[in-house]
Amino acid sequence: MTTATGTAAAATPDTAATGTLAITGFGVLSGAGLGPEALAAALADPEPGNASELYEEPLPRPEAHALVDFKVRDHLGRKGTSFFDRATSLGLVACKAALADSDLEVGEDNRDRIGITLGTTTGSAKSTSDYSRDTFTQDRPYLVNPLLFPNAVMNCAAGQAGIWFGLKGPNATVAGGHMAMHNALRYGRNLINCHYADALLVGCVEEFSPHTAWAAYFMQSVEGGDLPAGEGAAVFVVERAEEVRAAGRAMDAEVLAVEAGVFDPPGPDGAFSAGLETCLRRALGRAGVTPDEVATVATAWNGMPRLDDAEEAAVTAVLGADVPRLRVTEATGEALSATGAFQVAALLARHRAEPGRDGEISVITTRSAEGAAGAAVIRGWSRVGGHHG
Amino acid sequence: MRRVVITGLGPVSSIGIGAAAYEQALRQGVNGVSPIECFDTTGFPYYMAGEVHDFRPEDMVRRLSVEEWGRTSLFAASAARLAVADAGIDEDVLASSRAGSTMGTTGGETQILERLTADSLAGGPTGLDAGLVRQVSSARLSQAVNRELRLTGDAVTLSTACSASNYALGFASDMIRSGETDYMIAGGADSVHRWSHAGFYRLGALTEKACSPFDRDRSGIITGEGGAAMFLESLDSALARGARIYAEVLGYGLNCDASHMVAPDRASIAACMRLAHKNAGIRPEDVDYICAHGTGTPANDYTEASAVVDVFGDDPPPISSTKSMLGHAMGAASGLGAIASVLGIRGSFLPPTINFSTPDPELPAIDPVPNHARTADVRIAQVNGFAFGGNNAIVVLGRMS
Repeated sequence: MTTATGTAAAATPDTAATGTLAITGFGVLSGAGLGPEALAAALADPEPGNASELYEEPLPRPEAHALVDFKVRDHLGRKGTSFFDRATSLGLVACKAALADSDLEVGEDNRDRIGITLGTTTGSAKSTSDYSRDTFTQDRPYLVNPLLFPNAVMNCAAGQAGIWFGLKGPNATVAGGHMAMHNALRYGRNLINCHYADALLVGCVEEFSPHTAWAAYFMQSVEGGDLPAGEGAAVFVVERAEEVRAAGRAMDAEVLAVEAGVFDPPGPDGAFSAGLETCLRRALGRAGVTPDEVATVATAWNGMPRLDDAEEAAVTAVLGADVPRLRVTEATGEALSATGAFQVAALLARHRAEPGRDGEISVITTRSAEGAAGAAVIRGWSRVGGHHG
Repeated sequence: MRRVVITGLGPVSSIGIGAAAYEQALRQGVNGVSPIECFDTTGFPYYMAGEVHDFRPEDMVRRLSVEEWGRTSLFAASAARLAVADAGIDEDVLASSRAGSTMGTTGGETQILERLTADSLAGGPTGLDAGLVRQVSSARLSQAVNRELRLTGDAVTLSTACSASNYALGFASDMIRSGETDYMIAGGADSVHRWSHAGFYRLGALTEKACSPFDRDRSGIITGEGGAAMFLESLDSALARGARIYAEVLGYGLNCDASHMVAPDRASIAACMRLAHKNAGIRPEDVDYICAHGTGTPANDYTEASAVVDVFGDDPPPISSTKSMLGHAMGAASGLGAIASVLGIRGSFLPPTINFSTPDPELPAIDPVPNHARTADVRIAQVNGFAFGGNNAIVVLGRMS
């Protein structure tokens, strides 16, 4: 039942920038650990860990979906990694896992055609804030460490990944917060379909630090939520679907549509839900998918009633109340930009573990307190039987 | 594929707010650098920046509540307001069209993060202002633009540091070229902060009083800030509504050095120029003006001028740096450079490199348009943008033929 893929031509005609994307491999590093199996296990039995020993600074609470034993040198070695901050380290490890998972081969003949698009909220808030702190606390305000300066700038993870893996194609960082994965997929899709690149590492990274833990705490409490902070990265190897298919290569998923927009923020007037509904209907239309074909909705649910209710209202209006919802943040925590990437990774992790789901269509929705909304439609497969989309 | 044109300009800069004021300042070679006011410079050896002292967001935005948004988002939204007004398009028409925004940045709202850092040092994290915490996300820069103008399409913040506006301009042009969107606002925004001032100082990349790109005695950047926004639409759309067409976006190139986080790479920059020319369908000899990245550091200017000669030969077109006037507006820099180039195309002049006194014998022979703007026919301009992470982005703009 894989013949329906590639029928992206729907009511809304494709534009040059909207041909579908193939995901040919992915790497995920969540609070549950490294790899899709760890994420799948956490989804089945979500439980935060204890991060109270991770930092000397006070945390709002001990619970977190954090990688408490993570050391970059365990994954990338000691050489060249000592000045990496946590966000950069997580991002690089996820990129490495994604490349290892894909049959895409990086070589001298194609490294200038392979790029990176990484989503973030504000880079490593800790690296930037530590820089600010040093200007207040050092004997002289300029006594900051120049070697750490690149860490304080938001494109550090993508830039270091370009160096580490020798990828000379377009190197982009998208600051999207909860919208980051949808933004990155739309940005990356344009790069690929307009032939600025032939393949991209697309994903999001967010680190756990006192800064993000407190940020999650304040943002959650203001909205009446209680979700502990999370961290990690998920990175996907993305290529032109028609070329992957023509080459007879397998794909883990086809990204059929990604839509995004900004509306009035979630509130009692329902304007936001109508906006997300528009995005979702447009995404289904462009994917050539009818609501009854959708097997799962991976929502951005994060325990904030104002936002969750608005999202749920839109999903229900388009897909009904019965399509199973996957609440990924229960297993990954409030991981800001990484949440969207975890939503996709969770769906793909499940596909890999359950061949019975081959060819299933899933929807990934997201929303932000500022009124931004996004909806993506993907079709996924396991690796049993070598599905070729 | 549709042709893409720029029909509205919104500069919010240290030398002028709005297209007319900005153009006049460029023509006069105004210096926008002044003693820093936004933070206490006690203890810093250098204390100059290109701050926008005249920025009054409350007088510029109409829908956003200025208390709820950070300075950088307000730069973005204010610049977008100006660009839309300059484009002369009806706001309600725009709000009901397929329209979005994309803004580039280096520091995003990290001046808010810096304030929270200071608050946390003073009183611990528990008492932080939750409203401020919410403002830290850099995603808000482009979302502020959409909210201010009720745009219901994309809001994409590209945080590729100091070339980010060029990334944004390129992406926006593709969105329209491909038919995905009908109107886009593209540009960038950034604010001055302590952490980057300190960082550039410790990197040895900051100069004391004046930024003098391409000069023999240049010694670094001056940090700056501001907002840049351009209104983009298809040529057919602009013609249909009788819009004033400033320039056409001919194409752009992106690549990554993948070699060093902060040191520029001559061969990679040259390769990016060739990519941009190829994607724009032009040859090097078609370029009449290069709006340089031109930070004023010894390394950047040497590398950039050398790469220019590698691509253009021994007689390259004039190449000037608006950073001599503005300081380095970071994520807004290439956007303000693009606006300067657009104004040069439209008004037939070359913006100058001010603070220039002595040619550098170590540099290839270039014409930096020293100190005074010059009348010139600019049919095609190339806007260079380079960044930490080896994030090179070059945009090619042309006069509408």
